[in-house]
Amino acid sequence: MEEEQTYLELYLDQCVAQDDLAPPRSPLLSPVVPDDVYMPNSSHPETVFNSHLEEVKETSGHFSSVDLSFLPDELTQENKDQSIIRSKHEIEENYKTQSQQSRLSLPREQDIGLGLISNSSLSNSHSHLYPGDADSVQSSLEKPNSMPLVSITPMTPLTPVSESSGIVPQLQNIVSTVNLACKLDLKKIALHAKNAEYNPKRFAAVIMRIREPRTTALIFSSGKMVCTGAKSEEQSRLAARKYARVVQKLGFPARFLDFKIQNMVGSCDVRFAIRLEGLVLTHQQFSSYEPELFPGLIYRMVKPRIVLLIFVSGKVVLTGAKERSEIYEAFENIYPILKGFKKA
Amino acid sequence: MPGGGHCPDCGSTELVEDSHYSQSQLVCSDCGCVVTEGVLTTTFSDEGNLREVTYSRSTGENEQVSRSQQRGLRRVRDLCRVLQLPSTFEDTAVAYYQQAYRHSGIRAARLQKKEVLVGCCVLITCRQHNWPLTMGTICTLLYADLDVFSGTYMQIVKLLGLDVPSLCLADLVKTYCSSFRLFQASPSVPAKYVEDKEKMLSRTLQLVELADETWLVTGRHPLPVITAATFLAWQSLQPSERLTCSLARFCKLANVDLPCPASSRLQELLAVLLRMAEQLAWLQVLRLDRRSVVKHIGDLLQHRHTLVRKAFRDGPAESEAGEEERQARGQGPGQGKEEVASRSLDLPEGKRPASPALLLPPCMLKPPKRVCPPPPISTATGDEDISDSEIEQYLRTPQEVRDFQKAQAARQAATGVSNPP
Repeated sequence: MEEEQTYLELYLDQCVAQDDLAPPRSPLLSPVVPDDVYMPNSSHPETVFNSHLEEVKETSGHFSSVDLSFLPDELTQENKDQSIIRSKHEIEENYKTQSQQSRLSLPREQDIGLGLISNSSLSNSHSHLYPGDADSVQSSLEKPNSMPLVSITPMTPLTPVSESSGIVPQLQNIVSTVNLACKLDLKKIALHAKNAEYNPKRFAAVIMRIREPRTTALIFSSGKMVCTGAKSEEQSRLAARKYARVVQKLGFPARFLDFKIQNMVGSCDVRFAIRLEGLVLTHQQFSSYEPELFPGLIYRMVKPRIVLLIFVSGKVVLTGAKERSEIYEAFENIYPILKGFKKA
Repeated sequence: MPGGGHCPDCGSTELVEDSHYSQSQLVCSDCGCVVTEGVLTTTFSDEGNLREVTYSRSTGENEQVSRSQQRGLRRVRDLCRVLQLPSTFEDTAVAYYQQAYRHSGIRAARLQKKEVLVGCCVLITCRQHNWPLTMGTICTLLYADLDVFSGTYMQIVKLLGLDVPSLCLADLVKTYCSSFRLFQASPSVPAKYVEDKEKMLSRTLQLVELADETWLVTGRHPLPVITAATFLAWQSLQPSERLTCSLARFCKLANVDLPCPASSRLQELLAVLLRMAEQLAWLQVLRLDRRSVVKHIGDLLQHRHTLVRKAFRDGPAESEAGEEERQARGQGPGQGKEEVASRSLDLPEGKRPASPALLLPPCMLKPPKRVCPPPPISTATGDEDISDSEIEQYLRTPQEVRDFQKAQAARQAATGVSNPP
């Protein structure tokens, strides 16, 4: 931990020096930068930074929790791969884990402190990066578990760290997509498969269902497939593989490319009644409560980017997550807010 | 029309500004006589007869604005006038419509959506000025579907990034109650049903506040609650004559639509009032039911804050506090007091008839329809082997395929015969 602190101070000193020396046009600051900027030794700030990266590379065994995700892709891809792999091993030793995805997102809570400090030392062009931009950076990195950018503007009202709620949201539905990478004859599939329905006048895809895990898939003629109804990420992947096997057995050269979880829905019960009118008054910028249209309050949390449906009975539905940890984090964020409205 | 204009032929003042091949004319709408005619050029002496031209017509501002946007803006102004809104509302609503029109998604939307957008802009303006206008009213005026309206409304609030305050319940009560035709005798409204407006308004307001406090308003459409409260208020002001009148008949008399949920809101409100009545010693002896409690609504409302606090509890029962309060309350006839005392010494908490009920929304008080068992913790990894037999259960054998094809062909032939093209 001490080495981490000293490296952090070293890094921050250099950043301060860069701020004094370099004009805003520094490769650190823009997420998308043309290639020709990355000439080592071309300018003073960059050499300083590159040499520092060398140090980072060597000692990244102890450097597991520094957030390097603000760096643009080309510069850090290889460094980040190595540091991520190393940090992954670190975390496996240090933390209790629940699932594959949540391993990398756990250090994020610690990163927030460091990330905030490191971000605040950069110029303002970074401070307004919203998770929307973070998504695009993530997708360009092509890493399913990359750490997202942290913005310094407080997105949720600050609450003191209290004990956790003790309630765990249950996952109810997972939507995932996969590319079978071959053109499909939907009429043939509907003819040869018992569990398929195909009505081209109504919808241009075959609707296929399997019993275990109980899911439904939409299979399109382009070879793309959407799988819905699973209760966990692993089940969704297993179900998608089963559908691909069915398509294979029907004679198509189906593969299993780009499996990606697109949406996760969870729900839970806080077990006390909630004054929705009060909640919409205090959290107006996040909430939308129209009893004439819908009985629940729609809360759009910014970090993590999740939509919550909050009902007067205390039931909460969380949706819009790409990872399980986002749902848990969103619930931990909303629970203290809801507790504030417990007594009428 | 503009002052001082008389038709020289028939003398009427109904002069309409019209244009004939871009030559403006002032025409009498009664007899058709052309009073004045604009000329394309003017002489100095003629300028005295010319009339003012408004800015929007002179600068070609309308040429920059597309025709559908112009139509939409006209609809916004018309809607504001129909609703008799103050003139400042009109300008705000027009500004919102123009702002919305700058987005390409709105410009390319269907006409139906643009129609509904007119209503959304007016609604947002009214909400921001705390003018109680419900979505139902606007949908009726626009002949629009509530689903289409809700989709457009949510979209436009998000697109323009607006803060729209909630509907103001007290103002809605006042406007809605005033629309009931019960304040004057008429052929359809007998004298015993006529009521004083102020009394009814104040009592309705108190009942709505009571409903709000006891979780009957949160998450529900506000209007049916107000209908039920108005009905109860009206009944309780002269119960002897009005108890026989049902909710449906009341709405018909008052010339107001009866919203569907109003009857269940009425039952919920009566249940709350009954619980409160159990806390009043002189009402406990009467053993009220849903009809007879109406006679005592006046008393109950007078002491509503204390009664709600006593009749309901938020958490587990505070039996000691409850007992103390009951013994301390020395009002009412001595007989009633004895009964209360004997009851408090009676059986344990759960069996006492007047034990405090939970103050919760009705959806939490109903027993759950089905208890969902927690899902078994599966140790699936997603990479398990998939057996061939499992996949083959979903495939048809060649014989089944042939049979299926034959059946399909037969069905198509049958439908072809019965429905000749």
